[in-house]
Amino acid sequence: MDSKYYLTWEEYLAEHPELEDKPTQAIAPKIQKYEDAMFVFIMDLLL
Amino acid sequence: MIDAVAMTNERNQLFRDLFSGKTPKRVPVSNPATQDFAIQYAGLDLAECQWDLTKLEPVYDKFCQDFFTDTYPGGSIRIPSHYQLLGSTPIVMSSSGFMQHPEVVGLLAEEYDEFIASPYDCIVEKVLPRLFTELNGAPGKVAMSLAKAMRAQSDDLAYLGTIRAKMNAKYGYAGMVGALTEAPFDFMADFLRSFKGISGDVRRYPDKVAAACDAVLPLLVKKGTLPNPSMLGYTFIPLHMAPYLRDKDFATLYWPTFKKLVETMAGMGQNVQLFVEQDWMRYLDYLYELPENTIMRFEYGDAKLVKEKLGKKHIISGFYPITLLQTGTKQQCIDKAKELMDILAPGGKYWFQADKSVINFEAKGPVAENMSAVLEYVHENGTY
Amino acid sequence: MIDLKVLTQAVGDLDEKTILSMINDFVATNPSGEDAQKVVLACQQGMAIVGELFETNEYYVGDLIFAGELLSKTIDLLKPVLSGVASQKIGSIVIGTVQGDLHDIGKNIFGSMAEAAGFDVYDLGIDVSPSAFVEKVKEVKPQIIGMSGVLTLAIDSMKNTVKALNEAGLRDSVKIIIGGNPVNEDACKQIGADDFTTNAAEGLKTCQGWVK
Repeated sequence: MDSKYYLTWEEYLAEHPELEDKPTQAIAPKIQKYEDAMFVFIMDLLL
Repeated sequence: MIDAVAMTNERNQLFRDLFSGKTPKRVPVSNPATQDFAIQYAGLDLAECQWDLTKLEPVYDKFCQDFFTDTYPGGSIRIPSHYQLLGSTPIVMSSSGFMQHPEVVGLLAEEYDEFIASPYDCIVEKVLPRLFTELNGAPGKVAMSLAKAMRAQSDDLAYLGTIRAKMNAKYGYAGMVGALTEAPFDFMADFLRSFKGISGDVRRYPDKVAAACDAVLPLLVKKGTLPNPSMLGYTFIPLHMAPYLRDKDFATLYWPTFKKLVETMAGMGQNVQLFVEQDWMRYLDYLYELPENTIMRFEYGDAKLVKEKLGKKHIISGFYPITLLQTGTKQQCIDKAKELMDILAPGGKYWFQADKSVINFEAKGPVAENMSAVLEYVHENGTY
Repeated sequence: MIDLKVLTQAVGDLDEKTILSMINDFVATNPSGEDAQKVVLACQQGMAIVGELFETNEYYVGDLIFAGELLSKTIDLLKPVLSGVASQKIGSIVIGTVQGDLHDIGKNIFGSMAEAAGFDVYDLGIDVSPSAFVEKVKEVKPQIIGMSGVLTLAIDSMKNTVKALNEAGLRDSVKIIIGGNPVNEDACKQIGADDFTTNAAEGLKTCQGWVK
C-alpha cells in the first residue's frame, strides 16, 4: 500500500536506521502489529 | 453436565466439513438474533448495556442457554464508546438504543482523483475529518481523540472477547474467527459517496468509479485477511448496492473488483461468507463464477432456484424469513424451516441462518418462543 | 421554443447534459410562467417514463435516486421563471422515517418522486416520534401520511404512530401508506395502515390514486 500513513517494516526501518543494530527480530513484529492495528481500526470506522 | 470441549470439537468438525464441501454430520445452525436482542430479552436497557459491558455476561449466558446455536451468537457488533469519542456521524445511536448508519458523504465527487492516487492517504486526510468531528481540528485534539477511541475500542473488544471465551467454554460453540470487509463498490458507496452520490457518479463519471474501486481493492483485501488463513473461520462480506444497479453498471463497475476480492481471499486459502442482501436473482450466473465453496447467505429469492443453480458449487444459507417469527404460529415457523431444509440440505453445503438479523425483542411478542422452536427443530432434524 | 418532447425523452433517458442545457437555454429566453409550467409538465412526463422503465426492470433504485436529483436540479433552475404562477399541487403528504430508525434512503426516493409528481411533501426526517407526526398533521392537514423504516422495530413504531393519530382524532382524515424493507400485508394490517409498499414508484401510484 503506497501511503504515508502505513509503513511496512522495511519502510519503517529505512526511516529509522538507528534500529539496525538493535534486536530487529523482536522489534519488527511489534512495530508491524500496531501499524496493522491502526489500519484495521481506521478501516472498521468506514465499514 | 455437557462436555463443552467435545462439543466444540464436534462443531468445529461440522464447519470444517461444510467449508470444504463435505457433507457434515448434520446441518450447522446459527442463531439469527443479535446482542441487541439479547439485552432486551434479558430485560435490560439497550443503551446502558452497550456502554456498561459488565452487564453483558449474564445477558449472553441467558441468551446462550435459551436458544440453540452452533456458533457464538455475538455477531458483528458496533460498540458506542469509540464512536462517541470520535464524534461519529456515520454511526450513531438512535433514540431506541440501536447503533445505526445514516446516509453520509465522506468523499466529495471532486476528490475522486485524489482518492484514486492514494486511497489510504485520502481516507486519513479527507474522509475521516469530514465524518468524525473529533478528527477535525488541531493536531493535538485529533491525536488525543484517536488515542482515546482506539484504547476504548480495544478495551471493549477485549471485554467482549472474554465473555465470548467463557460462553464457548460453557456451551461448546465452534471456535471461529472472522474478518470483515466489503466489495470495493460498496465501500465507495456506503461511507464515502453515499447511496445518492454513487448513483449519480455511475452516470456522470463511471471511469472514476471504476478506477476508485481498483485503487481501494488492496486495502479491502488486507482488511479481510484473517490473522492466519488456516484458522477455522471466514471473511464476511455484506453486499449492498448490486440490486440497485442496472445490469450494465453491475457488470462493469461492481462485479470485476468484487470478484477479484473473493478470488484473492480464496487464493489465500480463506473461506468467504457473502451476505447477499436484497434481490440478487438476476445475478445468479455471476455468483456461480466465484471460487468453489463460497458461502452465500441470501436475504431474498427463490431458494429452489438458488439450490439448483449454485448449490452444487457453493454453500447456501439464509432465506429463513424472520418476519415469520413475528407473525406466524409456532407450527408455521417450524414448517418453514422444514420446507427450507428439504430444499437446501440435500447433498450438504447448507448452513441454517436466517434472512436477516433479529435485533428487536418484544416481551409480549411470539419471536423468542418461535425462534427457539425453529432452532431446536433444525438441530434435531438436520442430521444427514 | 424548447422542444418539450425532446425534453421529456431526455428526462426518461436520465440524460443530464441534455436536460440541463435545454433548461438553461429555456430560462435564458425569459419565458412566461405559463410556458415554464409546460416545461415542468414535460419533466413530469419524463419521470413517468422513468417509472415505467423501473417497472420493466430496465432501471433500478439507483436510477430513481439519480432521477430525483436531476428533477430537483431542474426545478431549482426553473424556480425564478415559475414564481408568480400558482403551481398546481395535486395533494400533500407528510413523510418520515419512524421512531428508532435512521434509514432514510427509501423515504428520500419516495419524497423526491412525490414532489416531482406534484405533491406538496413535508419531510419530517428520521427517528420521528409519533407526536411529531401528529403535530405536523394538525398543522398542514395532509391527505396522506407516509411512514418509512428499514429495521423490524419500525413496525412497532408505525403501530404507535397510528395509535397516536387515532387518539388525536386524526386517523380518519388521512390515508396512511407504509414503506420499507420489513413491511408486508400482515404488518400493514397489524399497524392499521391503508396500504404498504416496498417500491417507491408503486407507492406513488397508490398515493396518486388516493387524491384523484
